[in-house]
Amino acid sequence: MSKISRRAFTGLAAASVGTLAFPSISLGAVPKVVVIGGGAGGATAARYIAKDSGGAVHVTLVEASKRYYTCFFSNIYLGGFRNYASIGHNYYGLAVNQGVNVVHEWAVSVDAVARKVKLGSGEHLSYDKLVISPGIDLKYDKINGYSAAVQDKMPHAWKSGTQVQLLRNQVMNMKQGGTFVMVPPPNPYRCPPGPYERVSMIAHQFKQSNPTGKIVILDPKPKFSKQGLFEAGWQKHYPGMIEWISSEDHGGLKNVNASTMEFETDLDTFKADAACVVPAQRAGAIAMAAGVNNGDWCPIVPASMQSQADENIYVLGDASVAKSMPKSGFSANSQAKVAANHIRGALTGSKVFDARYSNTCWSLIAPDDDVKVGASYVAGAEAIDVESKFISQADDTSETRAANYQESIDWYNGMTADMFS
Amino acid sequence: MKKLLFVIFLLTFFCKFAFSDEQQIIAMGDIEYGEYLGAECVSCHQQKGASEGIPAIHGMDAEVFVALMLAYRAKEMENPVMRMIAGRLNDEQIGSLALYFSQLEPPK
Repeated sequence: MSKISRRAFTGLAAASVGTLAFPSISLGAVPKVVVIGGGAGGATAARYIAKDSGGAVHVTLVEASKRYYTCFFSNIYLGGFRNYASIGHNYYGLAVNQGVNVVHEWAVSVDAVARKVKLGSGEHLSYDKLVISPGIDLKYDKINGYSAAVQDKMPHAWKSGTQVQLLRNQVMNMKQGGTFVMVPPPNPYRCPPGPYERVSMIAHQFKQSNPTGKIVILDPKPKFSKQGLFEAGWQKHYPGMIEWISSEDHGGLKNVNASTMEFETDLDTFKADAACVVPAQRAGAIAMAAGVNNGDWCPIVPASMQSQADENIYVLGDASVAKSMPKSGFSANSQAKVAANHIRGALTGSKVFDARYSNTCWSLIAPDDDVKVGASYVAGAEAIDVESKFISQADDTSETRAANYQESIDWYNGMTADMFS
Repeated sequence: MKKLLFVIFLLTFFCKFAFSDEQQIIAMGDIEYGEYLGAECVSCHQQKGASEGIPAIHGMDAEVFVALMLAYRAKEMENPVMRMIAGRLNDEQIGSLALYFSQLEPPK
């Protein structure tokens, strides 16, 4: 696999409002893009390449699921604020409106030299440019006693879908006055504020259906995203219900026992009546199979989202090392547009504009009390650098917090339309 | 929301009379660039319009668009997301976005 040469790298970084040279693609043939993964990165990339090229590029999206349940807003479902069906989406719009060839299969390997993707069925798809946006895989074995085999007892619910429904069911059926244990993942992981929004939503549910229920957070970290805002919100809405225990205080999770529902730490052994355990994470397996990873994640070129290992492969979203962007659906969607513009330029000679990225994460703490954090980013030589940022303030008015929630709902609708319509 | 409508009204009213910065900024715009930059906007702003949370910008009058973006850039309007977005746009980029969104079909 060829590394991008220093010259090519600087060329790409410098290509702002200019046209890239055409790569070696035979005249007359419609260039082919294969996108692996139909989430916020992949669906957006497929949609923008197809839409903006107007048929000049043939786009195939490989996604195993016929119906995609978003991770973002799965916590809102957990809190009882919307039904499960409302976070499900299909690929009809991409196929019918945008002309994307949607293939519901698993991609199992990538031959980067022959530029072919092998599918679970044994079929091959050839590509001129490949987008890999597989999201995360879970490192179950990083927690002693935890595994895929016991994820029904202690759901992670970190990839949406059935796991989230199961967790909701366990929250609803936890015994009165019982203890819910939440184990957030170590850094880096998908959706930094997610575990703490999840705790908020479960607390909101308990307040109505199990008011004497308790939540213990055994965090492998000494601090977390939007910590001050969450802790103030918990104090205000759920006083006495939530106990966050820092890694510095419990000394690390030594073992979990899914049969006895016990969590062993230096501090104590905690007995749970229901639990959510989110293990450490890494890029989805296909990124490893394609050889574009360095360790758990995939380094990218900040100006284009191209893999540092292969200039014909782009890695988007959670699987990429997009420092300083957080691993979020919003980030993946933003990265997809930069990659789509770059790919289209490389394949059709269309204008390639400067990379610009942004992210905003909304978190609901209680009804009409929603906080947000966001930043805009530019492509630096080594990393994606923060340009400016903001975070909700401790002294926001209740009107502002309520407006944030309304904004997040509109964002959800805008975002999913931007991915799937 | 009423406050926002009032501001839009004032800005529209003002634009009718002043031969303005807004028009000069629009003259700097490029629709293709606006389409690329606008991809950032449509992560939140939907074509079909929206509720009271995030307003529609498709089909918005170009001068109103520019005036609003200048107001966010100058931090004269509140929303922190929009202050951040507008804060990094130069005049050419604002003009490009205004041109692009103004020629799109407004929500029905």
